[in-house]
Amino acid sequence: MQWLDATIQGVLLGGIYAQYALGMSLMFGVMRIVNTAHGDLLILLSFVAISVAATLQVGPYPTMGIMVPVAAVAGYVLQRYVLNRAVGSDPLPSLIATFGLSMTIQNALLAVFSADPRSLPGDGLESSSLSLGPLQVGLLPVHIFVAALLLTGAVHLLLRHSRFGRALRAAAADADAAAITGVNPRHVYAGATALAVGVLGVAAVFQALWVTVSPADGPGQLIYAFEAVIIGGMGSLWGGFAGAMLLGVAQAIGGRVDPGWGAIAGHLVFLAVLAVRPQGLTGRGAR
Amino acid sequence: MSGVPLLVTEGLTAGYGDFQALFGIDFEIHPGEVVALIGANGAGKTTLLKSVMGLVRPSAGVIRFDGVPTSSLAPHQIVQRGIAMVPEGRRLFAGMSVEDNLLVARDHGRLLAGSQPGWTLGRVHDLFPILRDKRHAPVESLSGGQQQMVSIGRALLCQPKLLLCDEISLGLSPLVIREIYAALPTISAEGTAALIVEQDVGLAQAASSRLYCLLEGRVTLHCPSSSVDRAQIARAYFGASEHAVA
Repeated sequence: MQWLDATIQGVLLGGIYAQYALGMSLMFGVMRIVNTAHGDLLILLSFVAISVAATLQVGPYPTMGIMVPVAAVAGYVLQRYVLNRAVGSDPLPSLIATFGLSMTIQNALLAVFSADPRSLPGDGLESSSLSLGPLQVGLLPVHIFVAALLLTGAVHLLLRHSRFGRALRAAAADADAAAITGVNPRHVYAGATALAVGVLGVAAVFQALWVTVSPADGPGQLIYAFEAVIIGGMGSLWGGFAGAMLLGVAQAIGGRVDPGWGAIAGHLVFLAVLAVRPQGLTGRGAR
Repeated sequence: MSGVPLLVTEGLTAGYGDFQALFGIDFEIHPGEVVALIGANGAGKTTLLKSVMGLVRPSAGVIRFDGVPTSSLAPHQIVQRGIAMVPEGRRLFAGMSVEDNLLVARDHGRLLAGSQPGWTLGRVHDLFPILRDKRHAPVESLSGGQQQMVSIGRALLCQPKLLLCDEISLGLSPLVIREIYAALPTISAEGTAALIVEQDVGLAQAASSRLYCLLEGRVTLHCPSSSVDRAQIARAYFGASEHAVA
């Protein structure tokens, strides 16, 4: 029973990782950008969410309603005016640009908000729990998991069945061919980053509800997003989701064995996947 | 030819970095006309097409489409003005179905005035019926000829006034080549002009009304396709004496 409980807690923990991984996997899949500022953008949005909630005196879900459009616009502007200059067949310029962005965000947060950890009050959501037979699960992790599932499903449907989704997949497959078919790749890239950062707007509110956030937390979250995406197979949305679940379960089970082993168990699973199946769970192998 | 040309290039010069591929090309094509562009590998045919499409920035010279200079426009803006391209090697969107490949063009092509009849998915299916049966298949699963049909259909759904075809017969069987070239009259019947780059000189002559031959980035021959003999073409094609004549 203890292990079943650990597995369920792990799957729920995977929900937040799946939210981080979704945007990361989208940006890599479409533009081959490894966004090393992904974790810092998450923490930045968490701080903004905390300020918005405090200023407007609103609960977590109304805050999310404000954060998602704000984050999406920020993502669009970031891509259009910064990252589009660095997209190309060479991965190095975008890596350096996002690394610089990561530094800038961390230091700006430190200057504005100081190093004190903060969190978002959740109107009791963060302390409620549900009974699943003999097991107790937190209500907030269940919300996070369901949100991750809905977000991944929504992005999947958008990519499969919308005009924007087709343009995005076309530009991802062959940017020049998309351009001679009337698609403006720069606009589509900006849309992809708007979507990726918009999803972080949701994740940021959950992050600040569940744990405390402080300005230097970004890189730690980036590692989890990165591991989830690589375990699942780079660029695959549901692969990233599955990778996030596996990472969460590994951490929860590792944590039961010994409280100090949670994070390391996740890293070991990640390394094992890299060793045995470097293309990830859903990857098609070397092309 | 009389009337206003659809596309004109004057003194078009272009290249890649230090390599110059085109040296002052003067070229024109009129509405509804089919013009062939022939020449050996490396003669500059693809570079000329890419310059017209906005994929290569010319270093000198003028490109005017419908009377408007286009050399500062991006490829997608050129598509929206009415030029579409069937690129060499087809360049389909891998991982997407036949239908999704075509829909990208329908979504982003030139906007037509309300009453103007344009290309639709149904009309592309009528032109190449196999694409109707394969519409949900991933493009990678199609044969080379079928992929070429998708590439042509995709270009047509951009609603072009001018269609650029880069080596559409490359790597295909003679039977499939005949089937694909049989679609050309239907396309020109719409008033769409076509510029076809072709390795097979006989095919190029038969399909076009005028032809240009390029050699090392310069036009070496420009004449009506029917009034030219093989010896003239061979001289323009190889630049040397007659013994290379096939």
